[in-house]
Amino acid sequence: MAVTEAPAAAVVAVPAPDVLDPERGSLRWAGIRRRLVLGIPLGFVALLILACFVGPLVLPLHPPVGGDILNSALPPGSPSHPLGTDINGNDVLSRLLHGGQSSLLVAISVNLIGLVVGGGIGALSGYAGGWVDNVIMRVLDVFIAFPSLVLTIAIAQALGPSLPNTILALTAFSIPAVARVARSATLRIKTMPFVQAAELSGSPAWRILLRHIAPNITPQMLNFAMLGMGIVIVTEGALSFLGLGIPAPNPSWGNMIYEGQQSMSATPLLVLWPSLALLATVLSFNLLGENIRDEMSGR
Amino acid sequence: MTGASVLDAPRRPDADRGFGRSGAGSPFVRLLARRLLMAIPLLLAVSVLVFLLLELMPGDPARNQAGMDASEEQVEAVRRRMGLDKSPVERYFGWLFGIFRGDLGRSSVSGQSVVDMLGDRAPVTLELVTLAFAVSLLIAIPVALMAARRPGGIFDRTVMVVSMTMLAVPNYVLAMLLVLVFAIMLRMLPAIGFVPLEEGLLPNLRSVLLPVLALAVPLAAFYTRFLRGDLVEQMNAADYIDTARAKGVGPWLVLWLHAFRNSSFGLLTIVGLNIGTLVGGTVIIEQIFAMPGMGMMMLEGAMSRDVAVVQMCVFVFAAVAILANLFVDLMYAVLDPRIRYGSH
Repeated sequence: MAVTEAPAAAVVAVPAPDVLDPERGSLRWAGIRRRLVLGIPLGFVALLILACFVGPLVLPLHPPVGGDILNSALPPGSPSHPLGTDINGNDVLSRLLHGGQSSLLVAISVNLIGLVVGGGIGALSGYAGGWVDNVIMRVLDVFIAFPSLVLTIAIAQALGPSLPNTILALTAFSIPAVARVARSATLRIKTMPFVQAAELSGSPAWRILLRHIAPNITPQMLNFAMLGMGIVIVTEGALSFLGLGIPAPNPSWGNMIYEGQQSMSATPLLVLWPSLALLATVLSFNLLGENIRDEMSGR
Repeated sequence: MTGASVLDAPRRPDADRGFGRSGAGSPFVRLLARRLLMAIPLLLAVSVLVFLLLELMPGDPARNQAGMDASEEQVEAVRRRMGLDKSPVERYFGWLFGIFRGDLGRSSVSGQSVVDMLGDRAPVTLELVTLAFAVSLLIAIPVALMAARRPGGIFDRTVMVVSMTMLAVPNYVLAMLLVLVFAIMLRMLPAIGFVPLEEGLLPNLRSVLLPVLALAVPLAAFYTRFLRGDLVEQMNAADYIDTARAKGVGPWLVLWLHAFRNSSFGLLTIVGLNIGTLVGGTVIIEQIFAMPGMGMMMLEGAMSRDVAVVQMCVFVFAAVAILANLFVDLMYAVLDPRIRYGSH
């Protein structure tokens, strides 16, 4: 018995041969890691969207504005205020979620407009070539010449602070940048045989743009849009921080950081919460963008 | 999000047809001339856009200047004195030629001449930007070289994770955290305020250290990632690296003398493109640290609807970004003999 058991035990003692095999083990680990690197930011973004847009509807939150000054600066963990209250007595968690709502709303709108308008302009410019391309690109050069924050500040200042104006100001630097990327992607695609085949078969230009060019530049545009989400959220925060974005008392992460700054030595947590929210969100979008790029380059 | 003007600038075939290697016909001089010729219309277009943008600003600058309780006649008089009764086209050209004459107008709030204001404010911003670039490169270059020495190693992976995180930290958030830690908790550095250089080098550096770090650290993260990626690519794929290795050059020297020398071109381009972003970043950083620079001047001007001031600040910011890119293009030519001799 004992003799026959020995080899069996030996087999059991080597439970997973691929763990011992360095090559296969690291492959499996790489697979898990890849899924984690994609899963964590994706999960965070999904959770964030859910929390910011559905959370305020279903959670028993206080309104984000109009708090009682008597409740000013309650510490985290106070009854019915899980993250405490700010200087004006408003619930911090509620403001964080509502602020995230406006940040995401601005970022998604700006990037969608950028993708559609900028992508359209860029693809058209690249596909048309010649003087059309030259004129469009020189006009975009003018916008790109401006430091993005300076341009947005000037536009936001001219239009006045409000949510739609913030979106408008931010699209002014998003469209030219997206157009550039779309153009260079189009230039690469348009010499490919399938585009030439479509041209030879007599497809009209708009059809080639929509059916052949657009689907092929989409992955690259998506990667850029993910980076753009981060950039727009940061810039919106900067505008609101300067009082040119979402007007107070309505919350945005930017103006929460600004308000927190006023009382930073007494209540540093009021700066920390919106900062952390901003950081985690931007990091997630950057990681997603990096993932899309890695997938595209066929890692 | 600034585009890569250097990267996709069309290289016309005729640019490579060299007529000689010296004098006006040399490719370098012609490159210089062509780039300058491209920059001038761009600057003009930018000036038109700045002017239009400020025209859209709500509010009446004349009323602003005259005061809220001034009579209609007084406002009209101010309007004439400020030249606002002329047509926008006339005013644009007046403004443009004023720039050439060194007359940038006067602040409608303080009455101070904009030239004097720029003279006071620009050095502060210049110091911040220069130091931020220097600090970010001083961090990025050694770190990237060490990371690229063993790609996938523990140091490399740490650097990648840390830089990815730092890249997601907006400079104003970093500024807050720096103030929180170094000024409020540790009380090592002043939270706000600028000490001019005339009052001593050390107090000056102490006062700019936190704002410079807030600007430099995200930049350093960006440069590190870029340079590391480029170096790794060079080390893996380039023939000249194999040649150097075959000659028996040590791994550090291959990195320094061969790969980094080549990668420095890409880095230079990125640095040039970043100047606009960095200059824009000073607007918010100067605000946080109460630095009396150009960013603060622009923001104060915007808040008080001081058109002449905002116009000039926005224009200077844009012009600096354009000229920086021009400078990078030319540095390219100076550093790369293939471009210099037109044998590209």
